[in-house]
Amino acid sequence: MTTETDSMNTQAGDATEGKLTTPFAGGLAENRAHSVDMADETTKIEVRDLELYYGNDRTLKNINLLIPEKKVTAFIGPSGCGKSTLLRCFNRMNDLVDTCRITGQIILDGKNIYDRDVDVAELRRSVGMVFQKPNPFPKSIYENVAYGLRLQGVHGKRDLDEVVERSLRAAALWDEVKDRLNDNAFGMSGGQQQRLVIARAIAIEPEVILLDEPASALDPISTAKVEELIYELKEQYTIVIVTHNMQQAARVSDYTAFMYLGDLVEFDHTEAIFTNPALKQTEDYITGRYG
Amino acid sequence: MNETSSTSDQSSPRLKSLLPGVEARKKLRKRRLFKDNASRWGITVAGFGVVFALAMIFVYLFYEVAPVLRGATITPLSTYTAPVADDAANALYIERYEELGLQYGSSGMVTFFELESGALRAQIPLALPLGSRVSSYAAAGPGTHITAHGLDNGQVLIARHDYDLSFPEGSRYITPELEYPLGTDAFTLDEQGHSLELVAIASRTRGREATLLAGYTDDKRLVLASLSSRTNMMTGAVVVNTELHTLPPVPGEPVRMLLDKALRSLFVVDSAGWVHYYDVSNPDNAQLVQSVDAGEGSPITAAEFLVGTVSIIMGTQNGDLSQWFLVRDESNNYSLTRIREFNSHGAAITAIAPEYNRKGFVAGDASGQLGVHYGTSARTLYLDQFIDQPVAQVAISPLNGRLLVLGENGQLHSADIWNEHPQLSFSALWNKVWYEGRADPEYIWQSSSGSDEFESKFSLVPLSVGTLKAAFYAMLFAMPLAIMGAIYTAYFMTPKLRGIVKPSIEIMEALPTVILGFLAGLWLAPFAEDHLPAIFSIVILLPIMMLVFAFIWTRLLPASIRNSVPDGWEAALLVPVIIGFVWLSIVLSPFIEIWFFDGSMRQWFTNIGITYDQRNALVVGIAMGFAVIPTIFSIAEDAVFTVPGHLTQGSLALGATRWQSVVGVVLPTASPGIFSAVMMGFGRAVGETMIVLMATGNSPVVNFNIFEGMRTLSANIAVELPETAVGSSHFRVLFLAALVLLALTFVVNTVAEIIRQRLRTRYSSL
Repeated sequence: MTTETDSMNTQAGDATEGKLTTPFAGGLAENRAHSVDMADETTKIEVRDLELYYGNDRTLKNINLLIPEKKVTAFIGPSGCGKSTLLRCFNRMNDLVDTCRITGQIILDGKNIYDRDVDVAELRRSVGMVFQKPNPFPKSIYENVAYGLRLQGVHGKRDLDEVVERSLRAAALWDEVKDRLNDNAFGMSGGQQQRLVIARAIAIEPEVILLDEPASALDPISTAKVEELIYELKEQYTIVIVTHNMQQAARVSDYTAFMYLGDLVEFDHTEAIFTNPALKQTEDYITGRYG
Repeated sequence: MNETSSTSDQSSPRLKSLLPGVEARKKLRKRRLFKDNASRWGITVAGFGVVFALAMIFVYLFYEVAPVLRGATITPLSTYTAPVADDAANALYIERYEELGLQYGSSGMVTFFELESGALRAQIPLALPLGSRVSSYAAAGPGTHITAHGLDNGQVLIARHDYDLSFPEGSRYITPELEYPLGTDAFTLDEQGHSLELVAIASRTRGREATLLAGYTDDKRLVLASLSSRTNMMTGAVVVNTELHTLPPVPGEPVRMLLDKALRSLFVVDSAGWVHYYDVSNPDNAQLVQSVDAGEGSPITAAEFLVGTVSIIMGTQNGDLSQWFLVRDESNNYSLTRIREFNSHGAAITAIAPEYNRKGFVAGDASGQLGVHYGTSARTLYLDQFIDQPVAQVAISPLNGRLLVLGENGQLHSADIWNEHPQLSFSALWNKVWYEGRADPEYIWQSSSGSDEFESKFSLVPLSVGTLKAAFYAMLFAMPLAIMGAIYTAYFMTPKLRGIVKPSIEIMEALPTVILGFLAGLWLAPFAEDHLPAIFSIVILLPIMMLVFAFIWTRLLPASIRNSVPDGWEAALLVPVIIGFVWLSIVLSPFIEIWFFDGSMRQWFTNIGITYDQRNALVVGIAMGFAVIPTIFSIAEDAVFTVPGHLTQGSLALGATRWQSVVGVVLPTASPGIFSAVMMGFGRAVGETMIVLMATGNSPVVNFNIFEGMRTLSANIAVELPETAVGSSHFRVLFLAALVLLALTFVVNTVAEIIRQRLRTRYSSL
């Protein structure tokens, strides 16, 4: 545990050196030297020297980051800062973009997920993802949740029933839909759909759940429900959430990373970021001066 | 940024508005409103116009088909006393131009009269031998004009009436004539000199001319004479060779005798309603083959051949009408068989007049009714009271336009008859029909022939089956290729390659089908016949080969080679594999034929009992498949490609492989589009004309054998419409075929649209 913290510090230091040479980084890079006290945490994901290019555009610039286990880590930052892109690196969804090229490492439980021998499908099973817009499949509620299980080879009716119920309960949706499990999922409200998608994601027992602005398309009441759910889920899962909504980040997350133009500007305990940011840039963003 | 925005906020009230003034905006609103309305009305009118145009196509087709459904109408024209009232009529005829009537009197007087008024035109007595009188009469079938007059001295006089046309002062004048084709001398049929109670005559005009005469004498003997005549080229004198035979005795009391013009069969109807069938093909050894109770208890009061002398119409005492002809069984034995019945008249049938150029007839009965019936379609087109007298004789004109009816009281009635389309009925079009000379009822399309005696066979079943067969095999070929290709192109292929592949396949759509048909008929069909093993190995083994190659590529080859080909370019790798395998199949084909099929696979098929036509459904399936693939591919590709990315991403994010995402999410979501793609392809295959016209052989068979051809509705219309007479039944049945084709595509598209809409609601709000 200590070693990991050490290595994180070293990485951050390296990054500072590397950054200083790049014209884009400017004065921002040194700010990352700010050390975070993560002594109580177990590292789930470690990002090392991650660079991502879309064609010739460098979208992520030398990211170094530790994601603690069974905590909620929020990525905030203005549109286009690369926070969603970074999130999608964790389950290699960027692979689907032809022009995308990645260097550096993302280490999940001690294994670089960009290694050749990694089974991407299995990676994505253990790193679930929920998207901004609810995307239930054009199937029944039951089948939506059972879909991932069937992919994993679970076909027994009894097993499926059990997992579907368990997942829907975990997503706080069971009581609302238990009488219409065979209805098309499109008949649900947006908030219900989003919770269904979360239920679908946790049905296959992931270790990490990536949430990409999960509440941005929802009304305030649905948003509150989803946030409550996130709070409950961190008991079991490591959660990484991208959000535009500062209050949401403040409410649900334990750690917050502020990103700007492809740089990881500041990473710290959420209350530290929101009450006492180390950098002026972070403070300006949080207080709404730009973004 | 902050500064600029605050400045603009403060200064905006003072800035001059750049929007147009109130009046100008009012004008603009008016103009916009006008444009809105104009476009709304324009689009509405155009939309209804399209629907209206389509409806008019239907209406026009119906309009052309409708006369087929009409029955016959008979309009009485004039009534007059027969010109020779004291002379009982043996037979009545109408001449071709419907100007003259003709009566063969029992006294031997042949009387020609004006059909309209009954005015006498000419009276010519038969050249009867001195002291003899006519005791019986027979005619040699419609259109021959040949009549036989049996005499009371055992002799027969054979006569032929004819008309000479002249055009004095520019208008037509018809001069009736009477000829004696076998000479003016009466011919001795019964050497014992007994009076001939009944005669029958048949003449063979094609090939070696010959005439057969049958007679029944008052001492109950059945005699037969076969005559062959030869005309001396120099003198014009006719030399007649005669052979006389006596036939086995008739088991009853004959009332009517009929000889067919093939000179093979003699039918003798007896007073008890039985028909005795004699085989007279060898007059020396003529035999009684069969006796049938044709009247079923009721005496037969009238019996007449339909044109062609194959079918006999029998009318009974109680008014029933039935059609009979000889049916051959497996061992080549003929038996007289009841084929079909017509609506009963309810009163004894007294006269039957067959039509001259098709299989219909007019029947008169003892209650004065006239009935118009048609053999093939089994239709009774008209049955109504005509006169208040029993009908004695009926004649119909050669062009089916005029009737001449003689009442028992000697009154002649001339009438107009409209009976254009008796051949078509629902059962004639869609059910099995027992055609003349066939062993069983069948579905046959054979619309025309060079002879008037031909029975038109208008079954739409072979054409509809052929249409579906061609479409089925085309779809069998095109569907897997097009859909799989569409899925691959839309989902797996790299955008760069897709940018080449998709337009290329869509350009195939523009390939004129006449070229495809031409290639299919003249190149592919003979090639397939010569390289059958290659065709089969390509169809069956090529997909397997592709899987084997995929296995080798992904599992056996080292990763370094595999990774040198970027994702999405795998299809390009397959191209040499496919070409190589096809080439190998073709090269090996002759050897496979030698090793496994005794040198020829086609012959091998024939030997195991499978018919093989060179132009067959296999060839059409491939050729039309090529025509259909672009349609299906293009629409299906769009459907797969437009499946929202967030769905596939959702699936992939759940740990699905790309293939699992395709099967689990992409295909169900794209299914409405893929379904409509398939239906569009099917619609195209059903309506496709040129390829089937050129590559099918156009044989209207009713089967789904892949090695036989077919004739489709569309090809049939293309082939036959140019050569049919406008307004004829054939012409109208082709319009009906067009209507069926239109209805078929209409139904297919409607069903497809309904299913598509339902699928779409299921996958809506995407």
